[in-house]
Amino acid sequence: MTGEVGRSSIRSDGAAKTTGKAIFGTDVILPGMLHARLLRSTVPAGRIISLDLSKVVEFPGVHGVLTAADTPNQRSGLVLMDAPLFASEFVRFEGEPIAAVVADTRAIANQALALASLEIEEIPSVGSVEEAIAPNAPLVHPDWESFATPPGLEWPRSGNIVAETSSDPEGVDEAFAGATTVVEDQFETGRQYQAYMEPRMAVAEFDGQRFTIHVAHQFPYNVRDRVAAAIGVNPSEIRVVGHHIGGGFGAKLDTGLEPYAALLARRFGRPVRLANDRSEDLLTCQCRDNAVIKIRTAIGKNGELLARDVDVLMDSGASATDIPFLTSIPMHVFGSLYRIGPVRIRTRAVYTNTAPTGAFRGVNGTHLYFALERHMDHIANRLNIDRLEYRRSNLQADGCKLPTGQVLNDAGILSEAFDAVEQLAPWNGLGQGPNRGVGIAACMWLTNPMPGSATLKLNSDGTLGVLTAATENGSGAIATGVRQIAAEEFGLPAEKVIVTMPDTDAAAFDAGSQGSRTTHIVGRAIREAAIEVRAQILDTAADMLEAAPEDLELANETVSVSGSPSKQVSLAEVAATAQANSGPISGTGSYTTPMPPINPTCASGLLFPAFPTPTYHVHVAEVEIDPATGIVRVLRYLVAQEVGKAINPQAVRGQIQGGVAQGLGYALWETLQIDAGRYSQRTLEAYGLPLATDTPEVEIALLEHPDPAGPYGAKGVAEPPIIPVAAAIGNAVEHAIGKSVNTIPITAEHVLEALSNS
Amino acid sequence: MRTKLTVNTRDVSVEAPPTETLLTTLRDRLQLTGTKEACVEGECGACTVLLDGRPVDSCIYATAAAAGLSVTTVEGLCGPDGSLSPLQQSFVDHFAIQCGFCTPGLLMTLSALLEANPDPDREEIENAIAGNLCRCTGYTQIVEAVEAINQESLS
Repeated sequence: MTGEVGRSSIRSDGAAKTTGKAIFGTDVILPGMLHARLLRSTVPAGRIISLDLSKVVEFPGVHGVLTAADTPNQRSGLVLMDAPLFASEFVRFEGEPIAAVVADTRAIANQALALASLEIEEIPSVGSVEEAIAPNAPLVHPDWESFATPPGLEWPRSGNIVAETSSDPEGVDEAFAGATTVVEDQFETGRQYQAYMEPRMAVAEFDGQRFTIHVAHQFPYNVRDRVAAAIGVNPSEIRVVGHHIGGGFGAKLDTGLEPYAALLARRFGRPVRLANDRSEDLLTCQCRDNAVIKIRTAIGKNGELLARDVDVLMDSGASATDIPFLTSIPMHVFGSLYRIGPVRIRTRAVYTNTAPTGAFRGVNGTHLYFALERHMDHIANRLNIDRLEYRRSNLQADGCKLPTGQVLNDAGILSEAFDAVEQLAPWNGLGQGPNRGVGIAACMWLTNPMPGSATLKLNSDGTLGVLTAATENGSGAIATGVRQIAAEEFGLPAEKVIVTMPDTDAAAFDAGSQGSRTTHIVGRAIREAAIEVRAQILDTAADMLEAAPEDLELANETVSVSGSPSKQVSLAEVAATAQANSGPISGTGSYTTPMPPINPTCASGLLFPAFPTPTYHVHVAEVEIDPATGIVRVLRYLVAQEVGKAINPQAVRGQIQGGVAQGLGYALWETLQIDAGRYSQRTLEAYGLPLATDTPEVEIALLEHPDPAGPYGAKGVAEPPIIPVAAAIGNAVEHAIGKSVNTIPITAEHVLEALSNS
Repeated sequence: MRTKLTVNTRDVSVEAPPTETLLTTLRDRLQLTGTKEACVEGECGACTVLLDGRPVDSCIYATAAAAGLSVTTVEGLCGPDGSLSPLQQSFVDHFAIQCGFCTPGLLMTLSALLEANPDPDREEIENAIAGNLCRCTGYTQIVEAVEAINQESLS
């Protein structure tokens, strides 16, 4: 063992990323490459009266245009086939593509597009979740019933309700009838733009038979499958090649521009680049869904949580994307953390005439835990019990059961996480003094179980190649974690492990960088592959050393005979010998986490049934309010996080620091106001990302309870740091000002408004 | 129009429309793609280059206005032998990089800071990079990478 696991090895891409040599998707230049732009809807809902592109086509340097009329324009989608490539008769959100133009340069494409003659008659739009479910609301998709789903996958949906998950266990009404206290809340949470630094892009080429699509994408295999479905070819006709990704945070999991680039490349016979400018990227990104959450809890005479009733309304925007999976998440959240009786949950995701929403780090966990943990503060305050003490006295323990029936065998880690933040800074010492407040919030979260694979090859110079379609989205999962795990397996330094960039022609399926899964799943696949590779190494070395394989030791790039260290061969010699005599050393492993058992009748519409490989976390925020301006300053931020095993402690720290920063943005600053279906903010400046001067250094305690199924015990790390932040901040702000702010972002204006409502 | 300028110590002459931005000239004409395009409104700092040593947002700076001036991009930060500058090396060593898209701009801003103020404190570093957006890191490890240069050179 070299001790690679648990060491803060530097990133494999560090030098390339500091010298400008790293090629991101946006940097890909191909010979003969043309540049495309999309003509987009300027209104949230309307009927296309006329579209005349003749002046666009005639513009010098333009190669041509594409519209719904000349494409296979069938509807497609991640789970519900409800999204056309190009709007034809109706437009359903501002920014929806209507046509594409392709030209010699991006500037020419832009100039030509300005000559398009497009007339749209506005029709009544659905601008909010409340409007979507109002009686006689216009239907965003009048033809919703005709939308296909994948074979065997059905869920309740009707009209503007694109997905509904509901659970109504026995005893809820009885518990409320017998309750000593009932606490009720309503929370409204904003839409959050992933705001990755590299706007979405695609470069496609077509060689007459097959497509190659160059991407900076979190999930290349999904690009392959989604483009195939959208343009009507077989997945194997598409090769997706991944380049460095300028951030994704979930927004680069579904397709975006790739199908258009592919169609244009085939139609015009040249490679085509299509890239968003920042405004259209913001306008059309699958942002985190905004939501309205009503929650009511029945409490007994000793403060026990008897039952709960929750109603969640999520904004899916104009298409379903992955939202039908996310309506299941409240089932995993609202009965977690604290002991509670039966929990009734109804979650509806609705269509609106806004850009489709979708995955963003921590998905809807951010607003669901905001609701749960803000509500817990309100219960404790009503009972006049210290908020921390109330939580601790109701904490779930090992063996507790979620509303789904899933048993959490290790929920006792929660208690350790509360201990750990207390060790970082005692609760009673925080939030003291005028205009100061302290908030605490916990969460339980999953490690995404979806499948992945790795092929290992021992090169004749003693280096190890790792072939995988998994992606390095910046987290370090590939650039450090997976590389260190592979190194550890063979006693190599991490520098001698080379992990490929993703290529769907070369590597087997991988479900992409989502749900904190890459290190856990791909690391485990590497360990599976290593069993086979190790056996080949030892068999070859046994011949070379004239010893039995079971008497050999593999460490420090060397195979030696136990007890006779002078009898040894280098890994390079073993690899070269095998290559010459029996064939190159290689092996493949695959892994997907088995889903924990649940009660399948617990709910209807439960497409995402369980939370495998759960982790437990506690955050504490100390804030100071400026009563004159309403500005919230974060003084201290503490995190206790369960990680299983920190493969690379500094990389883990980066995930926590960065996740908390995004959570602070969500809680306090980042604003996409929706006014009659239109975003009021259209630039990064207006949107309000956290700056270096806004972001405190996060104080961190790592908890390590190794997962027997994870590589060296590792569990998912990247998502949890963003999840409880808004709740902890909201609780701290309420503590500081003595007034409840139940909307996020909690902007300075909201704070001033709350202060003036005395 | 023809503009003559120096890019990473080499004299270059480009024929570009008067409205062309320095970012477009660098990326599309000179194929120096290390400088990144992320907002084109002068908000995010990903396109920062040095103009006679001063950091500017190349996405809102006309190439014509750079006539006769010296431009340094991230490609010009390495030593003549290709070795990383102390700042670049410290970014690698201290996990100041995640996705890396903002990294070139941050390196340019911070190179200018260190030139003017070789021993900045934490507040000075944070203020210097307040015009550079990083969505991944939450900034702390970037600040630490800068602090570490001086700590290591003192030790």
